[in-house]
Amino acid sequence: MRLQIVVHVTGTLVRLFSPALLAPLAVALLYSEWRDAVGFLGAFATTALLGGGMRWMAADAADGLDRLRRVEGLAIVSATWMMLAHLAAIPYMVAGLGFIDSLFEAMSGLTTTGATVFTDYTIYGRGVFFWRAMTQWLGGVGVIALFIAVLPRLAIAGRELFFAEAAGPSDDKLTPQLRQTAIALWRVYIALTAAQVAALALAGMSLFDAVCHAFTTLSAGGFSPHPLSVSGYQSAAIEWIVIVFMFIAGANFGLQYRAVRGGRSALIQDEELRAYAGVVAVASLLLASVLIADGMTSLDAVRHSAFQALSILTTTGYASADFERWSDQAKMVLFLLMFIGGCAGSAAGGPKVVRHILMARFTLRELKRTLHPRAILPVKLGGRVVPEHILRDVQVFVLFYLLTFAVGAAIVVGLGADLITGITASIACLGNIGPGFGAIGPMASFADLHPVSKIVLTLEMWIGRLEVMTVLVLFRFEAWRTSRWAAT
Amino acid sequence: MHVVIVGGGEIGFALAHGLAADNSVVVVDHTPEVADRFEPLDVQFVLGVATSREVLISAGIERADVLVACTGLDEVNIVSCAMARQIGQPRTICFVSRADFLQPDARGLAGFGIDRVIWPEAQLAEDIERIIRSPGALEAETFADGAIQLVEYRLDPDSPFSGRVANLHLPRNSLIVAVRRRDEFFIPRGASTLDPGDKVLVMGTPEALRDVRRRMTGDTDAHRQVVTIVGGGDVGLQLAERLEREPAGLTLRLIERNRARGELIAGRLHHTLILNGDGTDLELLENEDVGHSDVLVAVIDNDERNLFACLLGRQLGVPRIITRVGKRANLKLFERVGIDVAISARGAAVASVLHQIQGDPTRLLAVVEEGAGRILELDVPPGYAPRALRDLAPPLNSIIGAIVRPSHAFVPRGDDRVEPGDRLIVFTTYAAADQVRAYFTYVKA
Repeated sequence: MRLQIVVHVTGTLVRLFSPALLAPLAVALLYSEWRDAVGFLGAFATTALLGGGMRWMAADAADGLDRLRRVEGLAIVSATWMMLAHLAAIPYMVAGLGFIDSLFEAMSGLTTTGATVFTDYTIYGRGVFFWRAMTQWLGGVGVIALFIAVLPRLAIAGRELFFAEAAGPSDDKLTPQLRQTAIALWRVYIALTAAQVAALALAGMSLFDAVCHAFTTLSAGGFSPHPLSVSGYQSAAIEWIVIVFMFIAGANFGLQYRAVRGGRSALIQDEELRAYAGVVAVASLLLASVLIADGMTSLDAVRHSAFQALSILTTTGYASADFERWSDQAKMVLFLLMFIGGCAGSAAGGPKVVRHILMARFTLRELKRTLHPRAILPVKLGGRVVPEHILRDVQVFVLFYLLTFAVGAAIVVGLGADLITGITASIACLGNIGPGFGAIGPMASFADLHPVSKIVLTLEMWIGRLEVMTVLVLFRFEAWRTSRWAAT
Repeated sequence: MHVVIVGGGEIGFALAHGLAADNSVVVVDHTPEVADRFEPLDVQFVLGVATSREVLISAGIERADVLVACTGLDEVNIVSCAMARQIGQPRTICFVSRADFLQPDARGLAGFGIDRVIWPEAQLAEDIERIIRSPGALEAETFADGAIQLVEYRLDPDSPFSGRVANLHLPRNSLIVAVRRRDEFFIPRGASTLDPGDKVLVMGTPEALRDVRRRMTGDTDAHRQVVTIVGGGDVGLQLAERLEREPAGLTLRLIERNRARGELIAGRLHHTLILNGDGTDLELLENEDVGHSDVLVAVIDNDERNLFACLLGRQLGVPRIITRVGKRANLKLFERVGIDVAISARGAAVASVLHQIQGDPTRLLAVVEEGAGRILELDVPPGYAPRALRDLAPPLNSIIGAIVRPSHAFVPRGDDRVEPGDRLIVFTTYAAADQVRAYFTYVKA
């Protein structure tokens, strides 16, 4: 690994991120929130200077950029996300949160988790809430994808970065050029966001809240400026709008791009989308029947179950009701959904539906192989044979994912949380979902957890968003053994 | 007529054999040894590569009426056809072995100046599919968009169909058009008798033939058939793909020796179990319970291994065995050792090319027994005075199997009338084909 190149590219990306802080600054100024404005200005200056400084330090590396190695790509992506989380935490610190809490909140934003340490929503200004929503929106499709879209030079080196950040095991580009792919993704994303803002505003939400919710719905993030989340608006129309856009956010954006470009049949033919819709339908029905049995009226039950199933499945984490108070049967359905996630190539986190499909087919294949030891049994997806190395990657991913989950849960419980809280906190952060059950339910916050637990959960969000392997591989000694500063 | 045949392989030899008597035939091939084989035939042999202009000119391409390209290499066949068209104006017939050249868009190979493309392996896969789908049958053909079928059965020792043909009481709309007894081949009359071991060709409508099948095989209803295909080459893959289009009632297995090829096949097929192994590996066949298959199809590109796979299958108890035969000479041998159906990819293709070159005005629907029996289609001319079938005196060794009208198709009896506008499906032996043509030309006049 050539550290100079890592520093150079990371610096470039960090510097590119700095203008993003001007948007909440403008909001803070608009609402005359001077303290927050200072925070955003400070964060902007720090980000720009740090990025520029890193580039200056590693100026010689500019020539080596077009031969980025795999391990360097992974290091750059991991480092960029970690640094951006620190920088994005600055405004929260200025607004009064401690360092660990600020970092937790910032990482929760960028990774579109939606877990919060905020307890009293009245003490923060609009600028802070806007920033919270905006970090999720930027993190939803991926900051690297954004940078590739705006920075032509990065596109050459971007391949490794793009796929290290992308959600899910597929690596298909929509267009021959990576940069065009990134632009296409962002176009779909922006168009959908605009559509949701309009829909929410029409349904009676204030423009500020509508923008914040659109940002955090389409990124499958789940931060809401309202302390009671979406349930605080007491509007069935708003909930249905959010249901629709959560479904969209959990589906493959690339697929949606192709569907818009003609070829609507691609939507129906896509196996993952069909399975995703199937999971949504089955989970909603199960939830609805449990809720009706518990005495809810059927109309409310259908809406709440569709909302909550999608909210957890797509790893958004909104609440249309305080599901902490639902029966254990209903909670069990939600708990299982936490381990599924949305589609590959979407804004959703989690292990992704496609990995479940592949794991299921792989398992059935191995069963069949015991009957027919000599048979050639390829695993197929969408009529195409899935290469064995991808199947192996999926197995390894699932293994490490569950391992990370278990270690995280053990630490959180070990540091004093109760079992349900610890287990759901670990999966809610690793899967980038947000709320869990128990002490960290939808209406509660992570603020009361042990500080070390919060650090562990912050790391889990980071690991989960970058799909485990990108980060974990850097913990191998080999990745560092040949590391040096020189760019050659 | 001047005919140039490019390629002196099995197909080339069969074509030369069939054409030499009435036409001037030139065979082009680049291996000198091949020349010896053509020695007994009255043909000219040109040594050289047919993609060369000089070689084609010395084969007389400028005055040729037809060029048939039938080497084993598709590209050579295509180039020699294109080359021939640049020099002279022959009709060109091109043999291919891959699907790539038969794209559905009409241009296909027409741009190379090729008039007709023949893909014998596809034809073979189609034939085998029809046989598999007719339980118990040794041969199956369909005509008139499926309204009329032709099916061949072997009569078991206890078959209810032995005895005088007149006493059989076959269902209406079915007719025995031919009988094969060892090497003999004839069209039965009412007084003919059928013996156990005979193979009979029955023509009829699908409903009538269902009745015949029930009586013939004693099978009340078709159960799920287990089909094992040995060999995943062009024919094996084609066949499996065709069978998968209507997989209901079929359990498919395919045994392929080459792992890479097996993986490619497994990628293309969806309901077929692909086994990696040798079709002649007894242990594999036993482990996979191949003996309980209803049909075993051996389509390896090697007669010896096909034969071995078939014999193993027979030993394990597979009731119906179908195999592909590459060398014509082996055909009789295969049937003699008890293989139920042995077909060669080339027989049907050669017969159809010969039919076309000989300029027969009738349409050749199918050939059976490597061309010994032919099914022709004839149009009854408009000015024809309707006559009852019993008043017609068609040539010996031919029989009107069916009459196709726009409304329906049926197997005629003595008092049915042949009317203008009818299409007749006539079964005839190779020797009688000319007379049949003449008889119906006479009717026209």
